Amino acid sequence: MRQYDRNEPPGLSEPTELSEPTEPSEPIERREMRRTVADFLDRHADIRTAMTNADGYDRELWRRGVDELGVSALLVPERCGGLGMSFADGAVLVAEFGRRLVPSPLLDTVVATAVLAACGTDEADWLLTEIATEGLSVAVAFAEPEAGWCADSLASRAASHSAGWTLRGAKEYVAHGATADLLLVPARTTEGELRLYVTRASDAGLRRTSRTALDHTRTLAEIEFTDAVAVRVDGSAGGADSVALLSGLMLTALAVESAAAARSCLSGIVTYLSVRQQFGRALGSFQALKHRCADLAVRVAGAEATAWYATESVGNGAQAATTPELAKVVCADALLRVAAESVQLHGGIGFTFDHDAHLFLKRGKANQLLFGSGQQLRTRVAEAAGLGT
Amino acid sequence: MSAGLKLSDADERFRLRARAWLADNLAGEFADVVGTGGPGREHQAVRRRRQWERRLGASGWIGLGWPKRHGGQDASLLRQVVFHEEYARAGAPARLGHMSEQLVGPTLLTFGTAEQQARFLPGILRGEVLWCQGYSEPDAGSDLAGVRTSAVREGGHYVLSGQKIWTSLADIADWCFVLARTDPDQTRHRGLSYLLVPLDQPGIEIRPIRQITGTSEFNEVFFDGARTAVDNLVGAEGDGWRVAMGTLAFERGVATLGQQIGFERELNAIIATARATGAIDDPALHARIVDAWIGLRVMRYTALHTLSSAGTGPSGSEGSISKLQWANWHRNLGELAVDVTGAAGLVAGGASDELTEEQLLFLYTRADTIYGGTNEIQRNIVAERVLGMPR
Repeated sequence: MRQYDRNEPPGLSEPTELSEPTEPSEPIERREMRRTVADFLDRHADIRTAMTNADGYDRELWRRGVDELGVSALLVPERCGGLGMSFADGAVLVAEFGRRLVPSPLLDTVVATAVLAACGTDEADWLLTEIATEGLSVAVAFAEPEAGWCADSLASRAASHSAGWTLRGAKEYVAHGATADLLLVPARTTEGELRLYVTRASDAGLRRTSRTALDHTRTLAEIEFTDAVAVRVDGSAGGADSVALLSGLMLTALAVESAAAARSCLSGIVTYLSVRQQFGRALGSFQALKHRCADLAVRVAGAEATAWYATESVGNGAQAATTPELAKVVCADALLRVAAESVQLHGGIGFTFDHDAHLFLKRGKANQLLFGSGQQLRTRVAEAAGLGT
Repeated sequence: MSAGLKLSDADERFRLRARAWLADNLAGEFADVVGTGGPGREHQAVRRRRQWERRLGASGWIGLGWPKRHGGQDASLLRQVVFHEEYARAGAPARLGHMSEQLVGPTLLTFGTAEQQARFLPGILRGEVLWCQGYSEPDAGSDLAGVRTSAVREGGHYVLSGQKIWTSLADIADWCFVLARTDPDQTRHRGLSYLLVPLDQPGIEIRPIRQITGTSEFNEVFFDGARTAVDNLVGAEGDGWRVAMGTLAFERGVATLGQQIGFERELNAIIATARATGAIDDPALHARIVDAWIGLRVMRYTALHTLSSAGTGPSGSEGSISKLQWANWHRNLGELAVDVTGAAGLVAGGASDELTEEQLLFLYTRADTIYGGTNEIQRNIVAERVLGMPR
């Protein structure tokens, strides 16, 4: 049914230019990388064990990933002993880890190294060298009890001393914050300027409290900074830009992860409906269920395209300022919808702890809430689009 | 390893050339056709739009993607998209020749004989000959294999009997490409043939169908002893299903990029209305406006993603995902359009007491989820062919 019976509607508006991603979405090198990572995870990742151990992730898998995939060195520039890859390359790993809900500090480390690489300061380069060579993990400590993820309202303080900086304040909802080796922290100088700092998790000036997270596959911590020793990593050009970059990349990475998880969750539904027999036939042969899956496929296709667009647009001036916000909203919403349908369409088995359906459901809800709720981000998108009331 | 995010210089020059040509030609002589022929206004300025088709053809804008040896330009998919966008941006009129250019033309390029190509392609490229599509029938809508219109061979001709329906442009087209049953002993998709039939003959009657918009885009076409020469059979007799289905129409996921410029114009008009009526201050309506805006972006990214994967990724059934995506979005937009007008949407408010743009959009977009394969059929296709669910 490819015939269509009518004219295209005409248009009179000012369109946006096509100065946008137009190359094949998956270059061969990247496809090979995807396959390598997928093989690696299929062989070594055990989600259930990882999510129930005390660390909330598998240190052995991380160590192996450092050795075999260069997970910490991926986005570290070659000048710092890294692999010098792009954010879009890192997104391939984020997607493959996300597809399987692998508990890992990977996403935050990818984003943090991308931000540090963009800082271009000696301090950032020293840290990047250490991250690459030592295989360190980095957590992003952004949200605060009062401010949430609203950068303008962040209140943590950075004080200057002869020897460097110290941080004071409280952060929360820090993914893998209780176990990461380093923390990337936006904080305000005494002049009120927002800057990016890095502290060592082992520093005596910080206290980390692990919280029981809704999403078992991503542990969350509260972190109290009491004159924790820190390094300022962004240059003189202006910290607000680097904080905006951090926020944008986190949102984009969450979008990529959500879209990939939505795709694999949908595949799980389709597989189940194709093998599960009731009334003497495969459940998936019932049109009512087919149509629900088709609607999910439309959502997932839109989410994948949006995540792809946001990824390819990173660092490209052509992208709208709120593309990452839009992408996170669209992709996290898609994941939650697919995951909710997954629980329903699996029937009773989907309500059991042993089945993975609830892990996708919890990841979906968590990703909707992390780095700004759907409502908050929609408001930002609307304002940037001139849709304010 | 980063993707190039810009058009090449050559493609950008192509864009500027298209833009300049459209601006020049839509000023002055063709200023009256700007914006005509849209949803619910299909019969505006038909005579002038036929002239416009000739102007397009004379300047080589028809058949951009066709091979040069057949009179086309060998333009890349990207350039076809660029032209589509510029065409929409310029407010050029709704095409009358799209079925000629995008359906029967490519079919003839793939399945036609050298004689058929030499006879029919030039008229399409010049924008002189208009075609319509004779597939659907009263009992063969979503289930096209149920076609019953018969074509019986008599000497050097086929003689057709039966009825087609939902035939856009039949009232003004010169030719119709018809799926007809040439072997009455075969059922379903076997025994069908793809025939080119001239419309101006005694055995054909065309009746417009009055739609819920009050206007008529679609027609019924009655064949009662209509004739066409056996030379006008495309592909082998009985092979019509393969010919009809084998035509890869211009990739819809890509074509929608031009269409989306029209969508954006409609959304912008709705936002302007919402500001004027104060509806934008209603939190529920505002949320729907924002979601519509976001949905339009997602459709754009989906189309760009499809375009970027063209030639490498899976194709074909992706068109069904795109169709579901935009048809539902557009139908929802039609509801939003009337809602932002408030109670004024109860009565006609256009010039000379016609329905308003919002009312027409509301009504017209009900067709979007029906024609070209209903939402229900598209969902079947997505479930079975994209997701691989059991039949």
